[in-house]
Amino acid sequence: MVGLGWAIALPAIAWAVYRLRRNLDERAVPFMAILAAGIFVAQMLNFPVAAGTTGHLIGATLAVALLGLYGGMVVMTTILVIQCLVFGDGGLTALGLNLLNMAVVAPLVAYGTLRLTRKGLDNWNGIGVPLAAWASVLTAALFCGVQLALSYSLSGGSYGIEAMLSIPTMGVYHAIIGVGEAMITTGVVLFLSRVAPETLEFGLTGKGAKA
Amino acid sequence: MNRAGYIKGIAVVLVLFAIGLVGYFAFSAAFPDGLERVMEDNGVEEGEPFYIAPLSYGDDYLGALLAGLAGFAITFGLVYLYLKGMKARNKA
Repeated sequence: MVGLGWAIALPAIAWAVYRLRRNLDERAVPFMAILAAGIFVAQMLNFPVAAGTTGHLIGATLAVALLGLYGGMVVMTTILVIQCLVFGDGGLTALGLNLLNMAVVAPLVAYGTLRLTRKGLDNWNGIGVPLAAWASVLTAALFCGVQLALSYSLSGGSYGIEAMLSIPTMGVYHAIIGVGEAMITTGVVLFLSRVAPETLEFGLTGKGAKA
Repeated sequence: MNRAGYIKGIAVVLVLFAIGLVGYFAFSAAFPDGLERVMEDNGVEEGEPFYIAPLSYGDDYLGALLAGLAGFAITFGLVYLYLKGMKARNKA
């Protein structure tokens, strides 16, 4: 189970690093680093959702919208690795699966949604970013639900949660948390597009955007 | 990319997250997040970790603030150096 996360996540991330290396615009480096640091902090911030539960930003859609798919994946990977190794958030055992869910699946869903909803060159539109943010959180959560269910069957019930419970509950909570992610992500992108449209040049929301 | 606008963009991101960091404690309720909630609902216990990280997110306002600042600096530094290094290898 743990190995499965690594086995899928590592090649995907290696591919993102390879593509980023070929396309990296040096002028974007300080902005990428600041954004990565900002998303790290944003992931610490819990906002209350319904029923005594809190949500906190994943940030994958924000990273992909502003930096493109490869930049977004690399930034998410760095954040998750630092959280795990330096701050003990999410444990070393779970890192492979966390990387799969939040540094591979969530950015891919965000990228796909942004691509599908963008209109030609004038590709910022009101629905793409919030939809991508919501869908990326929900999909990552459902992947996590499936993994909990797989752990349950593989460990013969000693760890994890039955599929009939884990998948719907992860889905329901994160369908709500995803709304928070959508509001925050859209707010930041809209705000940046107003005060500093230059920062949108490297990602998917800018004109002439490339992957 | 226009330099002034770009610096403005960085400043804006910094300010946004600085506000977020200070506001951390206000919203950082003791409630569990989505995954923790699902684990709790189903009575799943986390196993003993075999790796202990050097830092934690702290358990009071100051601790969380310092952890946030440290995380910001570490993340910024690592991504910056990594991408700079990537670019340097490209040129070589």
